[in-house]
Amino acid sequence: MPPMTYDAIVVGSGISGGWAAKELTEKGLRTIVLEAGRPIDPAVDYVEHVLPWEKRYRGMGDRKQVERYQPIQGHTGACDEWSSKFFVNDLDNPYSFPEDKPFYWIRGRQVGGRSIMWGRCVYRWSDLDFTANAREGYGVDWPIRYKDLAPWWSYVEKFVGIQGRRENLAHLPDGEFQTPWPLNAAEQKARDILLEKFGGERVITNARLAVLTEDHGGRQKCHLCGHCARGCITLSYFSSINSTLPAARKTGRLTLRPFSVVHSVIYDPVKRRATGVRVIDANTKQMFDVNAKVIFLNASAMESTRILLNSATSEFPNGLGNSSGELGHNLMDHIMAGGATGTLPWARDRREIGNRPDAIYVPRFRNVKTKHPDFLRGYGFEGRAERAGWDRGSEMPGFGAEFKKSLTGDLGPWEMSFDGFGEMLPRHENYIELDPHLVDAWGIPALRVNCVYSDNEKKMQADMAVSATEMLEALGATNIRPFKEDNPPGLVIHETGTARMGRDPKTSVLNGHNQMWDVPNVFITDGACMASTANQNPSITYMALTARAVDYAHQLLNRREL
Amino acid sequence: MRRREVVQFLGAALALPFIPRGAEAAMKLGAELHLRLGDVPFRTLNREQQALVTTIAEMIIPETETPGATSVKVPEFIDLILTEWASDDERAAFLAGLRDIDTRAGAMGSTRFAALPASKKVELMTALDAARGDKTGAGLAFARLKALTVYGYFTSQRVDQEILKVQMYFNGYQGNVPFTPAV
Repeated sequence: MPPMTYDAIVVGSGISGGWAAKELTEKGLRTIVLEAGRPIDPAVDYVEHVLPWEKRYRGMGDRKQVERYQPIQGHTGACDEWSSKFFVNDLDNPYSFPEDKPFYWIRGRQVGGRSIMWGRCVYRWSDLDFTANAREGYGVDWPIRYKDLAPWWSYVEKFVGIQGRRENLAHLPDGEFQTPWPLNAAEQKARDILLEKFGGERVITNARLAVLTEDHGGRQKCHLCGHCARGCITLSYFSSINSTLPAARKTGRLTLRPFSVVHSVIYDPVKRRATGVRVIDANTKQMFDVNAKVIFLNASAMESTRILLNSATSEFPNGLGNSSGELGHNLMDHIMAGGATGTLPWARDRREIGNRPDAIYVPRFRNVKTKHPDFLRGYGFEGRAERAGWDRGSEMPGFGAEFKKSLTGDLGPWEMSFDGFGEMLPRHENYIELDPHLVDAWGIPALRVNCVYSDNEKKMQADMAVSATEMLEALGATNIRPFKEDNPPGLVIHETGTARMGRDPKTSVLNGHNQMWDVPNVFITDGACMASTANQNPSITYMALTARAVDYAHQLLNRREL
Repeated sequence: MRRREVVQFLGAALALPFIPRGAEAAMKLGAELHLRLGDVPFRTLNREQQALVTTIAEMIIPETETPGATSVKVPEFIDLILTEWASDDERAAFLAGLRDIDTRAGAMGSTRFAALPASKKVELMTALDAARGDKTGAGLAFARLKALTVYGYFTSQRVDQEILKVQMYFNGYQGNVPFTPAV
């Protein structure tokens, strides 16, 4: 088969690949998006309104199928009886890890990638985050600062449609917000109490979400069915399928090719440029090449790096563009599963109507103004106050008519939860490599992941339980249950790093515009590029970096410098 | 609101990219895939176990002015979970716990739980409810039976539509609505 030729190649159609496709096509480049997985048809695949009694196990999940085919994916709650189809088959997509270093790699291979079932939380960084590596001597200094990315956050936020409350916090900058859903009665009272008792240091604010509260860009406002990870027929939350891919298609310059597993990047050592990518058709397993002037790798952090590790040449024997030796290293996730839940004593005469997919956020308060003695960096809390409803029945004492009446006629008390999400330090010794003995269903060498949380993360997680308990005590909660679970990394599904940006080609893979130092017409704008991970949910930052990198690549193309 | 109604209700969305194709086909497929639990025979619980599970489930959520556990086929749901969902060990532990419940009924002067007089049933159920934290035996079986009864009941079609009246479409979120419990 002769190679197909385009102006630009985008590998992956998830949250950053969709943005690369939109920006490249809107700048006039004929662009092919190569997606390893299947196409998605919202009319068929979105199942957010399918009720439990329409599912065979009423939502308890097809446990034995998951145990057999998705033993890794099944560790995440979203891989349920509705949405397990959006997560990969682990048998077809193997990877390995040392027995004592488990890593749960949660993946989605379909058009839209994980943007279909992502968490939709969007928070900007500040220079507290961008300067942390340089201040504290971990990893390398970010080559950019807040001012470099702020206009690009604004740019993408306006298109995405984000609800949020302006708080004027220097360390969690406000963005371009639609009016958020209000806090519920219990959350509002909790906000007021905590603001007073912690002197404004701990703030319960409305979750900043890529979920519309107003119609926007041809998409309808959210109807609050509450099951975003199953799809959205009104396109109310942001995903590639709902937003960026339609915009790219509208230009007439998009070619979207599903079932296209990218094997490697093809490198011309004379021109010192990539000429294209080698692709395996997922169905026929036939190999073919696609050529282009510029390539954007957006296959997800570890997949993009895997492609480069599989693209070794005599000049780059340890992976294409790996003259620094840092390709594959500095893998990060966040750390979660630290916090507390408690029963609130008030607002029993109030209820909520509508199912918010996410509710509140408590921005980082550790190591902001004062230094914590036990750990560097910080964490934020996601959470909510909600009434348990009938779910409480299995744990509630009693049976009979009164028991039934209580479950059908009352909602139970308000339960408030704070779930921490903390920053993981970049460490060279957390890395991915090719497993010499393992290939995937298409014969492509698979990854071996070597990654553990350090004491810094573990101490931070312990503090999550402490500070969440403090807040619940301040609220007068009863039955406070602190928690600290021993989850392996990966499960937060915020894996980042392995091809970091930096200021020096000797210590980083990408420059300040996400451009590979060694192969200038290859850009990586998914999570692989991150030099640190802050504690904020990362996707909106990938989007902003992608739009900025495309703009830069376009300038270079116009100047014939690529 | 059913998916068909939702799709109609959201007619404006049908003009958007990707949406129109296959909506009817999708709903037809969903209907075909939907398993009618009432058509499935018991496959794990024998007649005596069925009687025990049914008696206890109905005592947990009895028929009042609204349906009870039996009329929304909770015992059939429990059998499905035992047959297809539970591990071999979990199934064995549950069935052993059922035997233990009947053994305890025997100590109260009956051959099995279902044959106890009503007051004795309540007495034993109260004891079992207090033993839900047990790792084996009657307490464990009762804990699982209770959890599955509550779950199976509230996720049934009738309860969803007649009692919970589950809504799938809201015109905005309200977080501070007056509420008076109906208890």
